Amino acid sequence: MRSNGGEESTRKDVTSGGSGSGAGGIPSPNPEWRFNQTLRNVQGLLKGRSFPGKVLLTRKSEPLNALASPTHSREMERSYSSNDRGNDQTTNSFEAEAQSSGRANNANLQKTSISSLTTSSTPPDAQGSVTGARATDSARVAKFGNELSRQAVILAFELAIYCIYAEKLRELSWSGVPPYMRPNIWRLLLGYAPPNSDRREGVLARKRLEYVECVAQYYDIPDSERSDDEINMLRQISVDCPRTVPDVTFFQHAQIQKSLERILYTWAIRHPASGYVQGINDLVTPFLIVFLSEHLNGSMESWSISDLSPQIISNIEADCYWCLSKLLDGMQDHYTFAQPGIQRLVFRLRELVRRIDEPVSRHMEEEGLEFLQFAFRWFNCLLIREIPFHLVTRLWDTYLAEGDSLPDFLVYISASLLLTIFNIHSSKKIKADSSDCVPWSEKLQKFDFQEMVMFLQHLPTEDWTHDELEMVLSRAFMWHTMFSSSPSHLAS
Amino acid sequence: MAHRVDHEYDYLFKIVLIGDSGVGKSNILSRFTRNEFSLDSKSTIGVEFATKTLQIEAKTVKAQIWDTAGQERYRAITSAYYRGAVGALLVYDITKKQTFDNVQRWLRELRDHADSNIVIMMAGNKSDLTHLRAVSENDGQEFAEKEGLSFLETSALESHNVEKAFQTVLTEIYHIINKKALAAQEAARNSGPPGQGTTIHVVDSSDAGSSKSSCCSS
Repeated sequence: MRSNGGEESTRKDVTSGGSGSGAGGIPSPNPEWRFNQTLRNVQGLLKGRSFPGKVLLTRKSEPLNALASPTHSREMERSYSSNDRGNDQTTNSFEAEAQSSGRANNANLQKTSISSLTTSSTPPDAQGSVTGARATDSARVAKFGNELSRQAVILAFELAIYCIYAEKLRELSWSGVPPYMRPNIWRLLLGYAPPNSDRREGVLARKRLEYVECVAQYYDIPDSERSDDEINMLRQISVDCPRTVPDVTFFQHAQIQKSLERILYTWAIRHPASGYVQGINDLVTPFLIVFLSEHLNGSMESWSISDLSPQIISNIEADCYWCLSKLLDGMQDHYTFAQPGIQRLVFRLRELVRRIDEPVSRHMEEEGLEFLQFAFRWFNCLLIREIPFHLVTRLWDTYLAEGDSLPDFLVYISASLLLTIFNIHSSKKIKADSSDCVPWSEKLQKFDFQEMVMFLQHLPTEDWTHDELEMVLSRAFMWHTMFSSSPSHLAS
Repeated sequence: MAHRVDHEYDYLFKIVLIGDSGVGKSNILSRFTRNEFSLDSKSTIGVEFATKTLQIEAKTVKAQIWDTAGQERYRAITSAYYRGAVGALLVYDITKKQTFDNVQRWLRELRDHADSNIVIMMAGNKSDLTHLRAVSENDGQEFAEKEGLSFLETSALESHNVEKAFQTVLTEIYHIINKKALAAQEAARNSGPPGQGTTIHVVDSSDAGSSKSSCCSS
């Protein structure tokens, strides 16, 4: 198929390795087991090498079928089921992928949009990974001629395809997920739902049951069996639940309040290093909204709890719990004693603002303004309190697409929020492209200490629409590109 | 403490608002600074900030108030704000015994992190919820006397005693500062011990701020 010698040998080796492993190299047909095995093998083999999937192994590799397109799912399932039958066929399917990738053109990757999410875009999806994998594979095959390496090649291919689907999913989600797809996509992005769609329901059912058992074990017990700290924590949670999105009446319903309490308490008990910290209650709300929206029509103001069966509420609660857990897994030290993770982000925000807008930064310093005085809440509640609630789920599309890089990217979003607000004293609708807008950094420099603190603690974003949010996000993306890989850019 | 010399006020006093979570600190602050009360307020994360300018014995005093989060986890963050504070409003909820029991811990917190001369007002908030009362006014009063604190029962909802609580703290601070200034002057003049002439002012502190008399009527 291609004249490249390395490629040729790859193909050959893959084929023979495939049949060899079919005899007993892969003892279990369970795809999840095999995937984990793949991970371990490839991680071991590729230690110290640059493999495109490497950083993605833990999380990004999972949401394979997330593209939700029936075409994709079928295609991937086909390759997996054929894999179960015999590896020769799998090899063929990989070959086909590799072939298509050969013709492919990387520019396609850049051009994709939401529309391609629903249409078929398999060849462009597959190409990047296979291209990347091919290079390393040929090198590897040249180096290792034995059975083990051949097997690793197959696994690496398998993994590479996983990775590229996941990568594509993230890329698309970053710019916003259509609301009706959001529940599924979020579950996939967070690695809560497995990528393989025919296993999905089974896994979710098992996780939901596991959550119910946790609640029975930790929450549904008499206070006499709780420690003093646990009683205090439960009290704190019960104080905060009614104060969670207090302006949306749906959240005040007793059943939702109870669900929220169980989620928070169970999470806190299972994460003793941090326990419950005020503000984590806010972080459950986007999940609640999104998973409720799967079962309720219209806007949340018109939702009625009576439209939900107890089983559905239980499932939603479990999904919220697991998604919260997944989200916070990447930010463990944000909520431990003295919250070092948040302090670190606040420090980095200050440094970044200094690099982007030195005059504003100097003015803040001269006035004695500390970033901790306003940015602490920004990071603690992931900006939920700083923008209108109806924009939060859109913001979280980007968050979840960022995955493990979210804390890092939050610094850029915060800098963008801080420096791109327009014409704050004008009561009329703010438009980014209107001619009378004044960059906020100019206004900021006229504020004294008190005006700055008051302003930054109550950002006038209540009239914001998606336009303003998109502007903040794209600016953040731009700055991230400019600054993150070049630590000395404007650092003087 | 003063970040900018402003001609609009004579004194700038930094006050911290502390106490357990959910006792009503943020509503006390919004009642005092904006005359607002919100039934559906959110928890305070870290610290929130507001100011109010008022008259104390013909002087313009600007109160810079830092409202802190009540949860213990935040104390590492919030205790940094005690530095430079000359007054504290320590709030508990009269319907929650636990929040009153914790006052002792908050006092320790102030002793550890704040200036030793800080003026403390203890406020038993939510006095409108008489049917749910779990701490008697007498218990509050006794505790305050034992610890040498000022004490008032307040209701942010009914706007009862909120202004007076701040007024009392600010007046007391003002007197202490005056007394210090006076003592310094006297010391400079006589190089003897500070005179007793300043003590009388402290007693009439409650009616010193006469700008708001309606606050007790509700």
